[in-house]
Amino acid sequence: MEAIWLYQFRLIVIGDSTVGKSCLIRRFTEGRFAQISDPTVGVDFFSRLVEIEPGKRIKLQIWDTAGQERFRSITRAYYRNSVGGLLLFDITNRRSFQNVHEWLEETKVHVQPYQIVFVLVGHKCDLDTQRQVTRHEAEKLAAAYGMKYIETSARDAINVEKAFTDLTRDIYELVKRGDISIQEGWEGVKSGFVPNVVHSSEEVVKSDRRCLC
Amino acid sequence: MRGTRHTSTLYPRDPTGLMSPQRHHHPPAAKTARPAPGSPSAARGALSFTRVLTGSTPSPTRLSPPPPPSRRPDVLPRAPFRARPHFRGVPLCASARWLRSARRGSAELSRPGVFIVMSEKDSGEDPKEETSNEEGNEHKAEDLGSTDSNQEKEQEMEPVPMTRKRPEPKPPSQPAATEKPAAETLKASDSSAAVQTGWGYWGSWGKSLLSTASATVATVGQGISNVIEKTETTLGIPSPREISSETRDATRGSENAAASTTDAVEDGSSFPIAGALGVLSTISTAVQSTGKSVISGGLDALEFIGKKTMDVIAEGDPGFKKTKGLMNRNSTLSQVLREAKEKEEQQTATKVTMATEKKAHYGLLFDEFQGLSHLEALEMLSRESESKVKSVLSALSGEELDTLKEEMKQLKEAFSLPEFFEEEEEEKKGDEEFTKEVTELFSELRISSSPAKLITVRTSAHEWIAQFNSSLPKEEKESEENQEVESRDGDHDAKKSVEDIHAFAIRSLAELTACSIEMFHKTAALFLHGQKQEVTATDRAKSLSQMTIVLCKELSTFSKEFTTCLTTAGVKEKADVLNPLITGVFLEASNSASYIQDAFQLLLPVLQISVIEARTELSQ
Repeated sequence: MEAIWLYQFRLIVIGDSTVGKSCLIRRFTEGRFAQISDPTVGVDFFSRLVEIEPGKRIKLQIWDTAGQERFRSITRAYYRNSVGGLLLFDITNRRSFQNVHEWLEETKVHVQPYQIVFVLVGHKCDLDTQRQVTRHEAEKLAAAYGMKYIETSARDAINVEKAFTDLTRDIYELVKRGDISIQEGWEGVKSGFVPNVVHSSEEVVKSDRRCLC
Repeated sequence: MRGTRHTSTLYPRDPTGLMSPQRHHHPPAAKTARPAPGSPSAARGALSFTRVLTGSTPSPTRLSPPPPPSRRPDVLPRAPFRARPHFRGVPLCASARWLRSARRGSAELSRPGVFIVMSEKDSGEDPKEETSNEEGNEHKAEDLGSTDSNQEKEQEMEPVPMTRKRPEPKPPSQPAATEKPAAETLKASDSSAAVQTGWGYWGSWGKSLLSTASATVATVGQGISNVIEKTETTLGIPSPREISSETRDATRGSENAAASTTDAVEDGSSFPIAGALGVLSTISTAVQSTGKSVISGGLDALEFIGKKTMDVIAEGDPGFKKTKGLMNRNSTLSQVLREAKEKEEQQTATKVTMATEKKAHYGLLFDEFQGLSHLEALEMLSRESESKVKSVLSALSGEELDTLKEEMKQLKEAFSLPEFFEEEEEEKKGDEEFTKEVTELFSELRISSSPAKLITVRTSAHEWIAQFNSSLPKEEKESEENQEVESRDGDHDAKKSVEDIHAFAIRSLAELTACSIEMFHKTAALFLHGQKQEVTATDRAKSLSQMTIVLCKELSTFSKEFTTCLTTAGVKEKADVLNPLITGVFLEASNSASYIQDAFQLLLPVLQISVIEARTELSQ
C-alpha cells in the first residue's frame, strides 16, 4: 500500500446486471479473473494506484455497483461523489447495450450539480463470435454522448488497464486545466499528500494543493 | 466568573460551530480501571471485549495511572464491571483518540493491559445526565446569548448609559415566540422544589428549552437574551453588559475557556443523544450539588458549572486541544476513522523511507481492506433507515403506534449484547468452531450472501500463527546444534522478527475487522433490498448479536495468540521494545471489537424498517 499520491479519484462502474462490472474491476485491482462471481450486493469498494506519468500516482477508488434493479436506491447515492465512471455493456447482450441510454439518464438525474466523465465500455470482447453489438454502432452511441469507447475483456485481460488509465488521464487533464476542481463536500477528487522528499521539481510546485484537512 | 461573562461578550459565539470542540466528547469517566499488570504476559489476560476507553486517559502515556478518584463523580454509582456498552458518541471518539494517540507512537505505551471498562449501565444513564448537562448549558446559552445580543443592542443604541442596572424593555420587534422560553425559565424557577425530587424534572425542562431554542435558530440569541434579562430582572442580578463593562480586564485564559464553553453550548442544542460520561457526570454532580442555587442563585451557579466543566476538561485531558479535531459533534465512526487514517497517511508520506513504519498502521490497513468504505456505506443505510423509521412513527398514532413501539422495543432488546466475559477455557477452542458458528449464524439470517471472505481471512491468519508456532521448537533445536549457520543465513526466513509479527497481527486485525464490517454492510443491504424471508427482524437481530460476540471473541483470541507469538519471539528483546508491540496488538484488537460492535448497532434502524414492513404486510 502506497500512501503517496497526487490525487484521489472516485470512479463509479455501472451497467446492467451480469455485464461483468465486478470481474473487470477485479481484473484491474487484483489482477485475476474469477470464473464464478456472486452478484454484487449494493455496492462494493476497490482501490488501486495508477501511475499516469513517471512519479505521478493517482489513487483510484472504484465503486462497484450492483446492476440489479432492487439495489438501485443504494447505488444512486454514489453517483454524486464520483468524478468518473465506466458504463459497461456486454457485447454479447444487445439488451445491455440498449440500456446504456437509460443508465446515462439515470446518472444525469442523480449527479447534479456535478458531472461524471464517462467512458463507454463494451465488455466481454473475447466472446467475439457471440457478438450482438458492432463496434461501429457502439462508437456512434459513445460519440453522441461525448464519451470514449473501448472494448475490454476481463477474462483475457484485454484493454482493462487501458480503460481505467485512459479515463484517469482524461480526468487528470481536466483537473489540471481547472475544469474539474476540488470542492468541499464533494468526494470526487481529493488531493493527496505530497511527500517532503519529492524528486521532480514539478511536484514541488504542486505542493500547495495538499489541502487535506 | 465575571471574566467568563465578559469574555463571551468579546468573543461572540462561533456561528459555524467549527470552534466547538469538546461537547459530547468529554472524557468518559472510568468505571473500572484494571491495575496495570507489570509484565506482558500478565497483560494478556487484560483484554476483554470491552471498549477501551481513553476518556480519562486520552493518550497512551496517560494510560498507566488509574483515573483520579476526584474525576469519578458520585453520580453513576452502580454499574458493575461488565462487557462493553454500546452507544454511539463518546466511546467512538474515545477509541478514535486511542487510535490517534496510538498512532503517535506505540512506544509511548509503556504499560500494556490497562483497560478501562465502562459498563452498559453507564450508557443507560447517560441521556439523563446529558439532559441535565444540556440544561446547564442552556442556562449558559442564555447567559451568553444575552451578552451577545446585549452587545448588539449596545451597538444599536449607543446612548444607553452604561450605568443602567436593568436591561431595557424588550424591543417591539421581538417576535412573540421569544416570550416562551422566558416563561419556561420562570416556571422552572417557580417549581424549584421539583429539582430535588429527581432528574426527570431537569430533563423535561431542558427539553422544553431546547425545543424552543431550536425552533427558530435565527432568533435564539435574541430570544434567550430576553429570557435571561427577564430572569435577571426577577432575581435582581446585574445585567451582563454591566458585568462585562466591569471586567474588561479579564485574563486571556478565562476568555479562552469561556469561548470553548460557548462552543460547547452551541453543540448541545443540536446533539440530543450523545452518550456522555466524564465531564457530563461531573457537571451533573455540580448541578446536583448546586441544585437549587442554580435556580435561585441564577447565573453565578451556572458560570460556576461552566467553569468547572472547563476545569474538568483541562484537567482530565491535557491533550485536549489536540483532540479538538476529532470532537466535532457530527462525527461518525467512519469520519473519526477516516481522520485517523488521513493522519497516518500524512505521517507515512513524510516518512517515505521508513518502510517498516508503514506496515503496522491499523488505520491505513483498515482502509486498504475497504473497511472505511463499507463502514460509510453501512452508516448511510443506517441513517436512511433511521429517518424512514422516524417518519413512519410520526405518521402513526394510537394503538397502531403502541404496537409498533412495543415491537421496536423488543427488537432493541435483541440489540443489547449480553454480558460476555472472557472465558479462559474457550481459548483452546477447536479451529473449526469459528467457521461453523459463523456459517450457522449467517444462515439463520436467511440472506443470499455468505461469510466466505471473513472465514478465509480468519483461517489464513490462524494458519500463519500455527505455522509460526510449529516452526519454533524445531528452530530452537537447530540453533542449538548449528548456531553459527543459523545466525548467518537461516535467521531471516525461518525466524520472524517481533516487528514482523506485530505487523502481521495488526494487519490481520484490520482485515478481519474490515471484513466483519463489510459483512454487516452487505447484510444491511440485503435486509433492505433482499427477498422477503420467513424470519423476523428480532430473530435476525439475535443472530447478528451472537455473531458480534463470536467475532469479538475471535479478535480477543487473536490478540492473545499474536502476543504469545510476540513473547516467544521476543524473549531476547528488551521490554521497551516488546511491550509497546504487545500493547499495540491488544489495543487494536480491543478497538477492532469496538468498531464491530458499533457497526452492529448501525443495523438496528435497518431491522426496524423490516419490522415496519412486516406490519404493513400484515395489515394489507
